[in-house]
Amino acid sequence: MSGSDKIVVEAISKSFDEMRALDEVNLTAKEGEFVSIVGPSGCGKSTLLYIIGGFVQPTHGVVRAGGKVVKAPGLDRGVVFQEYALFPWLTVSQNISYPLDRIGMPAARQREIVERYLELMGLTQFANAFPRMLSGGMKQRVALARTFAYDPDILLLDEPFGALDAQTREVMQDELLRLWRTNRKTVIMITHDVDEAVYLANRICVMSQRPGRFVAEFDIAHDTSLTREQVVLSDSYRKWRNAVWLSVREQVTGLKV
Amino acid sequence: MARVVSLYPLVLLAAVWEVVARTGLTPPIFLPAFSHVVADLFTQLLAGQFFDPMLVSLYRAFAGFAIAMVIGVTTGIAMAQFTWLNRFMTPIISTGFPAPKIALLPIFILWFGIDHMSKILLVAFVCVFPFIVAAYGAASTVPRAQIWAAQAMATTRAGMIFRVVLPASLPSLLSGVRVAIPQALVSAFTAEMIAGGGGLGGELVYAQRFFETTTVFEILILMLAIGYVIDTLFLKLRIHTLRWHEQTASKD
Amino acid sequence: MSTASRTAPLVAILSYVGSLAACVLAWDLVVRLGLVDRSLLPLPGDVAVELVTLMGTASFRTDLEQTVIRSMLGLLLGTSIAVPLGATMALSRHVRGFFEPIVKVTYTLPKTSLIPLFILWFGIGTVTNVLAVMLSTLLPVLVYTYHGVEGVPRVLVWSGRAMGTGPVGILFRIQLPAALPAILIGVRVALGFSFVVAIAAEMIASSYGIGKLIFMYGENGAYVPMFAAVTAIVIVAATIDFLFARVSAYALRWSDTYSAQR
Repeated sequence: MSGSDKIVVEAISKSFDEMRALDEVNLTAKEGEFVSIVGPSGCGKSTLLYIIGGFVQPTHGVVRAGGKVVKAPGLDRGVVFQEYALFPWLTVSQNISYPLDRIGMPAARQREIVERYLELMGLTQFANAFPRMLSGGMKQRVALARTFAYDPDILLLDEPFGALDAQTREVMQDELLRLWRTNRKTVIMITHDVDEAVYLANRICVMSQRPGRFVAEFDIAHDTSLTREQVVLSDSYRKWRNAVWLSVREQVTGLKV
Repeated sequence: MARVVSLYPLVLLAAVWEVVARTGLTPPIFLPAFSHVVADLFTQLLAGQFFDPMLVSLYRAFAGFAIAMVIGVTTGIAMAQFTWLNRFMTPIISTGFPAPKIALLPIFILWFGIDHMSKILLVAFVCVFPFIVAAYGAASTVPRAQIWAAQAMATTRAGMIFRVVLPASLPSLLSGVRVAIPQALVSAFTAEMIAGGGGLGGELVYAQRFFETTTVFEILILMLAIGYVIDTLFLKLRIHTLRWHEQTASKD
Repeated sequence: MSTASRTAPLVAILSYVGSLAACVLAWDLVVRLGLVDRSLLPLPGDVAVELVTLMGTASFRTDLEQTVIRSMLGLLLGTSIAVPLGATMALSRHVRGFFEPIVKVTYTLPKTSLIPLFILWFGIGTVTNVLAVMLSTLLPVLVYTYHGVEGVPRVLVWSGRAMGTGPVGILFRIQLPAALPAILIGVRVALGFSFVVAIAAEMIASSYGIGKLIFMYGENGAYVPMFAAVTAIVIVAATIDFLFARVSAYALRWSDTYSAQR
């Protein structure tokens, strides 16, 4: 059922005591869309993601995911955090199979899926390693594998590559793109990296300074046959990137350019 | 106001204590009324009772604490400076730390009698370990950048210790002090309970032997108060001493 | 595996033995050279022989056992109460509000000071001793457990919830494992206290136990057995602590923040 509204954010407002974080935010993400939310630091974009994830309750407004009102976290919305959030006392394999255990999948099938994702992410030799032995990039790979393994319809990413160095970040972006193109999940990604947003997303929403609300939207068409080099060096990419950057810049400086 | 209200569990417990004692559920020899204990304590204090034993205990605790501090900090910093010393001392400390040092009290008594010295030395023996560990930990983790900056500004080895290592170690050292203070008090009181020779601990056991339950409770309250007052004073001292330090200046 | 990492444990053991041997040697010399009188400090050799002899007697072994059993029992009881209570305090504001003032007040009270009170209430014997040990171990484990559970990163709990973990699962599968390093440090601290309090209780008033034995030997001028008994309990306590540290290190091999606390 492509084209249906997968995530609907209706007039969401959030205040923490005196501080207004979000102000009547509206957003609709259709099934299979890759939406990226960008904006100045502290504008509330992560807070919005936490509300969609069900971790934080809004002060006003409602979020619907797959038609149902969001009240708490759930298996339909997979989350990847900047801090990886792997369970350090479990091995890589155990981390990936954790959600599979929760949904009651039989052990044999779990092993299959874990092996498949280990191979997909190039982590087979680390199957029984503890997360502390992995680099940042590898840890995030495990986090992605874990979330993809149980196949949630919706993917919420909170600055997933923010803690990685520039080169690893590029590699991980391509990994994410590769995984997403085979599964076509609905993705909402928070990032402060405009280049990343333009590279990955087909829709970018720009948030204002606090209290956050959406001020601009960009729909980007991607040619999936192009390599990374071709995309980044292309005119269209640069055009989009500049437009989005300018929009965010306006929000950061408060001045119209 | 909120802070006072938050103490309600204590008020509740005191109330329960009072009720249980007064309704005669337990004979007064086991549980004298809370009000009776508090009232009697004030009377005794006003009459000058307990001051001598308190001073004796405090003297022993602090003398031992001071000795431990001097020996412990020096050793810890030296261990951070000289690798051979570190390698030699670490097994000794690893064995000494978990060892129940109270078991050595009779040895100290054999050597120094039951008066002050044996107890002061027990306190010192118990408290030296946390000091060594805190001093070593602090001195060995002075940020390298600070050491290099000092070296670039022509600091001698001795100068390094006093001008860089010691001040940089101060926050961790004071945390070690905070741990050592209650140890000093406990060791002093316990030694007195075991071996007599005056002090609050001695008074406590004396009161127990004569079934003076009220006095027992009074002494417990005094010990509690002493620990609390000293800790509060120490925290104020720490905040003042470390006002230049980013992390400790603002928190507890 | 390079040669260096293969010999490292061996070097560690050698330096450990070497340091302690050097101390024993110094002890021996100090007495032989007459720096300290033999009646005040027996030769290490004499103490060792006496220790072996005593270990051959059933009553000595029983006393030693009694002390260890009381310590461990008190530790077990204290931990069984402290861990659930500490975890609950971290998770419920109300529970914390009730117990926090109580904890703060009793923290500064030396638990050994409760021994005379317990003697008044329960008489001389195991109940008094175990109760004193239990209370002395309760507080450190409680505080460490509280901080451990409270400090669990919220992204771990959130990830767990997003992956379909219910509240009970969150506690047992995520919060307690994440808090384990802190809890085990608390237990190790409590372990140290347990021996001290057990021995102190035995020295103050008890019918048996190694503490009582040490005290009695001292009173009766039997100094060599006294030194032997002290050595025995120090060795036992240090060994149990060492074993606990090893088991902890294995259980926490996944953690990069835990280190053998010395």
